[in-house]
Amino acid sequence: MDTHKGVLVCGEMAEGRLAPITIELLGIGRKLSDQLGETLSILLMGSKTGSLGQEAIAYGADKVYVAEDGLLDHYNSDAYTQVAANLCLKVLPSIMLLGHTDIGCDLAPRLNGRLGGGLSMDCLSLSIDPTTQLLLATRPVFGGNAHATVVSRSARPQMATIRPKIVPPAVRNESRQGEVIPVEDKLDPSAIKVKVVDRIKEEVEGVKLEDAEVVVSGGRGIGSAQNFGMLRELARVLGGAVGGTRPACDEGWVPASAQVGQSGKVVSPKLYIAVALSGAMSHIAGCLGSKYIVAINKDKEANIFNVAHFGIVADYKEVLPALTAKLKELLSA
Amino acid sequence: MHTIVCVKQVPDPEIPPAKFKIDPEAKKVIPPPGVPPVISVYDERAVEAACRLKDKHKGKITVISMGTGKVSDVVRHALSMGADEGFVLEDEAFENLDSFGTAYVLGKAIQKIGGYDLVLCGRQAADWGAGQVGSILAEMLGIPVITLACGIEVVEKNIRVKRIVKDGYEVLEAPMPSVVTVSSEIGLPRLPAGMSLMLARKKQIPVWKAKDIGADLSELDRTKAHTEITGLSVPTRKTECEIVTGNTPNEAAVNLALKLSKLI
Amino acid sequence: MASREVFWNISYGYVVYLLAGLAIAIWLFSFYRRYQLWRQGRPDERSQEIRKRIGIFIRTTIVDVFFHRKFLRNPFSGIMHLTIFWGFVVLLLASAIDAVSYYSGLHLIGTPYLWFSLIVDLGGILILIGLIMAIYRRYVLRPKGLSTILDDGIVLTSLVVILITGYMVEGLRQAVTEIKPHPDWAVWSPGGWVFAKIFIEMGQEGLRLWHKFLWWFHSALTIGAILYSGLAFSKLQHIIVSPLNIFFRSLGPVGTPAPIDIEKAETLGVGSVRDFTWKQLLDLDACTNCGRCEDACPAWATGKPLSPRKVVQDLKAHMLRAADNPSNQPESTPPLVGEAPGESEIWSCTTCGACQETCPVYVEHIVKIIDLRRHLVMAQSRMPETAQLMLRNMQSRGHPWAGLQSLRLRGDWTSGQDLKILAEGESVNTLFWVGCTGALVERNVKATLSMTRVMKTAGIDFGVLGEAETCCGDPARRAGYEFQFQIMAEQNIEMFKSHNVQEIITSCPHCYHTIKNEYPKYGGDFKVLHYTQLIADLIGQGRLKLTHELSSIITYQDPCYLGRYNGIYREPRQVLQAIPKTRLREMERSRNMSFCCGGGGGHMWIEEQPGTTKINFMRIEDVLKTQADTVVTACPYCLQMFEEGIEHKGIQDSVKARDLIEVVEAAMKQS
Repeated sequence: MDTHKGVLVCGEMAEGRLAPITIELLGIGRKLSDQLGETLSILLMGSKTGSLGQEAIAYGADKVYVAEDGLLDHYNSDAYTQVAANLCLKVLPSIMLLGHTDIGCDLAPRLNGRLGGGLSMDCLSLSIDPTTQLLLATRPVFGGNAHATVVSRSARPQMATIRPKIVPPAVRNESRQGEVIPVEDKLDPSAIKVKVVDRIKEEVEGVKLEDAEVVVSGGRGIGSAQNFGMLRELARVLGGAVGGTRPACDEGWVPASAQVGQSGKVVSPKLYIAVALSGAMSHIAGCLGSKYIVAINKDKEANIFNVAHFGIVADYKEVLPALTAKLKELLSA
Repeated sequence: MHTIVCVKQVPDPEIPPAKFKIDPEAKKVIPPPGVPPVISVYDERAVEAACRLKDKHKGKITVISMGTGKVSDVVRHALSMGADEGFVLEDEAFENLDSFGTAYVLGKAIQKIGGYDLVLCGRQAADWGAGQVGSILAEMLGIPVITLACGIEVVEKNIRVKRIVKDGYEVLEAPMPSVVTVSSEIGLPRLPAGMSLMLARKKQIPVWKAKDIGADLSELDRTKAHTEITGLSVPTRKTECEIVTGNTPNEAAVNLALKLSKLI
Repeated sequence: MASREVFWNISYGYVVYLLAGLAIAIWLFSFYRRYQLWRQGRPDERSQEIRKRIGIFIRTTIVDVFFHRKFLRNPFSGIMHLTIFWGFVVLLLASAIDAVSYYSGLHLIGTPYLWFSLIVDLGGILILIGLIMAIYRRYVLRPKGLSTILDDGIVLTSLVVILITGYMVEGLRQAVTEIKPHPDWAVWSPGGWVFAKIFIEMGQEGLRLWHKFLWWFHSALTIGAILYSGLAFSKLQHIIVSPLNIFFRSLGPVGTPAPIDIEKAETLGVGSVRDFTWKQLLDLDACTNCGRCEDACPAWATGKPLSPRKVVQDLKAHMLRAADNPSNQPESTPPLVGEAPGESEIWSCTTCGACQETCPVYVEHIVKIIDLRRHLVMAQSRMPETAQLMLRNMQSRGHPWAGLQSLRLRGDWTSGQDLKILAEGESVNTLFWVGCTGALVERNVKATLSMTRVMKTAGIDFGVLGEAETCCGDPARRAGYEFQFQIMAEQNIEMFKSHNVQEIITSCPHCYHTIKNEYPKYGGDFKVLHYTQLIADLIGQGRLKLTHELSSIITYQDPCYLGRYNGIYREPRQVLQAIPKTRLREMERSRNMSFCCGGGGGHMWIEEQPGTTKINFMRIEDVLKTQADTVVTACPYCLQMFEEGIEHKGIQDSVKARDLIEVVEAAMKQS
């Protein structure tokens, strides 16, 4: 497989800057490419990339491929796949890294399908096997109950999407040198079959779940949308956000956008209060990064107590009002 | 309109973590006895999505499932929800395939069925959760794909999909046929009822082997797999949980509040 | 010789008989039209086993009609109805005797005549007392469960007027023929005598004229009342419809819905009036709107939207509407479940059976509600979210405890216990069927383990299915998801047979009822025992000795599916009374009048509809009134519900909820 060399990061931009996940990818990408003794490149796609190429170099990229096109202004699966696939066929990277974001989740498998590589999604850690020089990707399986290590022996590129906030971001170094290379190939608009008709932003009341310092989550045990009011009240007192497990979202008690877990949002607040949820691994996977986890559950055998730092074994309906009232009193003092 | 839905049978995702056992050598999960496998949650929602389209636009739903054992159970479940026809893909050559192998077999079966307008898959399987079969399948079939759908409609000749993104959703349109992968946000699957429930009990579910769908066995050669699982482990993460108590739940709550106020 | 002349002072009196005959003919015709209404329904097997039915009918008539067993549970309304009923029986017989004596010429004379007069007069007075009580109750007391319509007023007023004018007619006659010549006869007709005394000052002419006028008025009103009740199908019709309904009452166990042949059924459950059976439609007419069911209903008592009375009356309105729409076009009739009754009513029912137990005319509410649920669930996919969650779980995991799966598994409770867990194909004579709650819910597992230890001590050779046990199907059936019930029933029967099971001991009354009374329809005939029966038997045989003093005051909750559904009241009490130094104190509502815990009919999982309180919270108050320190039950749902109720009230220190078997085990231990 000597034909394929180097690590290629697929960058994402947010509000004119490199997205945090991209800086994280550059960090891990740098490590991997140093171990292999190969170069680290990054692909930036957009209508205007400005000085972000230099930014990427400062964060560790040796080469920056910049594809600028009006059609790349927003993420479009067909357009991005086309550009990235063409670049891969040209530069033949050995490893390709993407963020496990809504872009990466869509782009990575398509790219993989087109290139015939070997992809691991939602990786928690990446390393290089010292003897085979192959990429070892560790990812959760069975809803987080187990971790699998995945290897691509012959397929190239070896691809991985990495969960945000799992690896440390790269350190910025202004003095780093690198090369910004414009991607010359023009996009073929006829290959863009999927059209974006609309983008709807769902306004979240109060603090955004991902940014909240405190998250109060409820599960199936809450019983009704109305009862979630108690959680909302507690979150309000603590200046936090409300989340829910998949069953709670399925029931419509909390909006789907507030789902915490492997197939929803991954949060890492200072304090995570898990109310009346048993703690399925797929849910815990979404909150394990929290500094403190508090569990309130009737059932003392609930799995959530295995990961919680504090717990109360009781019916949440009898706990939350007093907890909220007392916290309100303590915090206003 | 003709929708083909790909479904998978998986070990029950609600197995208690304490009961979750693996065989690290064989890299397999050992399901606890007495816990029957279920239809993968996202796939069940894909069936639901297909049924909703059928409710609105009529047409036909075909369900396919690859696997071994009593896979026909999940196909029958889909039939009882409202699918019209179902096939099981079972062959020794289909065992332990990676995402490419799976997509290849499903693609062959879909081509054999033919005449479809839409292919639906779950966003990922509830077991290995690779999350890529739908996209690879679309590349193989040479048709567009939209992932993470939380709503699907038909608008004239196009399929219009709401796709989840982190701060809301996008509305995308693609010509038919297309592949769409469905996320759980699409809504709760229906409880099998009515006529479909009665019909599903009697329905024949043919089993297709590699040769029935014209699959090239060399494509399924395990030595050429794109990915391989080389390790499987159960992460240990046991925190010492301090149970806060009190004479009443009320008192316990107050004690907890005192502790928490010092942390934040 | 004392006697009186029939049709005294009246010419053409026979006209009354002619008119009455005509009125009765019209009355019968109205029945025929009503019969046509009932015939809209599907066939039912209720016309079979006629001999058995006649026997049961006679027994029911004696106990519930002549002696008013059910009515007298409420003394006021019971006595009220009793007086009216017996009064009318007397008057009816009297009229018949009058007619016979007039045409046969065999007149009652002398002392028998006097006694006859007295009895007839007293009969009328009885009715009057009853009517006054009824008027007082309906218009002054106005009890909550009683809804009043125009018909009630018309019926009560006309009956009072008929009776009073009857006495007036008698008094006018007596004023002429008895008061002076035979004052000793007059007092034998006390009702008439009062009026005779009042009218005596009137001249002969006046008396005769008034007599003639009032006589015809009284007769016309009576015939008018018959005509009215026929044409308006007034509540008076219950005189005929109620016995008819009693005759065709269900002979089987309470609340057992008919199986659906899923493969052949044209409709699933009841979606329109014509999907009911004719007997179910007859039920709707038999209902007199008396409200006894409403008073007994735990859902109604706790402020839920359900009143069994209203459901029946609403369905009756649908039946009448359907008759006006013979073409059966569904578009022109509103859906059966929607406005009235509403879905929330149908989902409030815990199938506890209190309504049926209390209904004097044997209306069968539960099966109707289950039939309506069947249509909602299977044909329309409409049900509360919690019901759907439960049903989905039964479908994919074989038990209704959604969410519990992630805590523990079915066979977990057996670990570390020395039990015979049946391997595939292994035979056993006696199977201990644990039930989902007993196997999966921590609190109930304790009771299950008690049970196995007690049985072992008693030397019973039994096996358990462990992880191979699934749900019996009860929650699915009560929630209307017949499809899942049938699958589970068939699977379980097959499994019992594969282990050559002869006898099944259940700890859950719901499993008990389902396996014992409902499985036979699917080919599963096994000897089924509830553990309370077994334990009572073992104590009787001396194989179990309860020697340890418990010094406890116990009250016992009759689980609905054990008591009302299966009549097991005696055995649990025998067991409790066998414990030394233990006092059994009954709650005010107990045995067949017991009040539900709130957990039946799928409500262990289906969330209670919003109301003023929860059923188990209300029931725990009954427990507290007995000042018992322990509430004992023999049902895992009740146990759960009481635990929750006790926790809610914060009285864990003073009252404990225990399963009967736990108490038995405690009483076995040597101190």
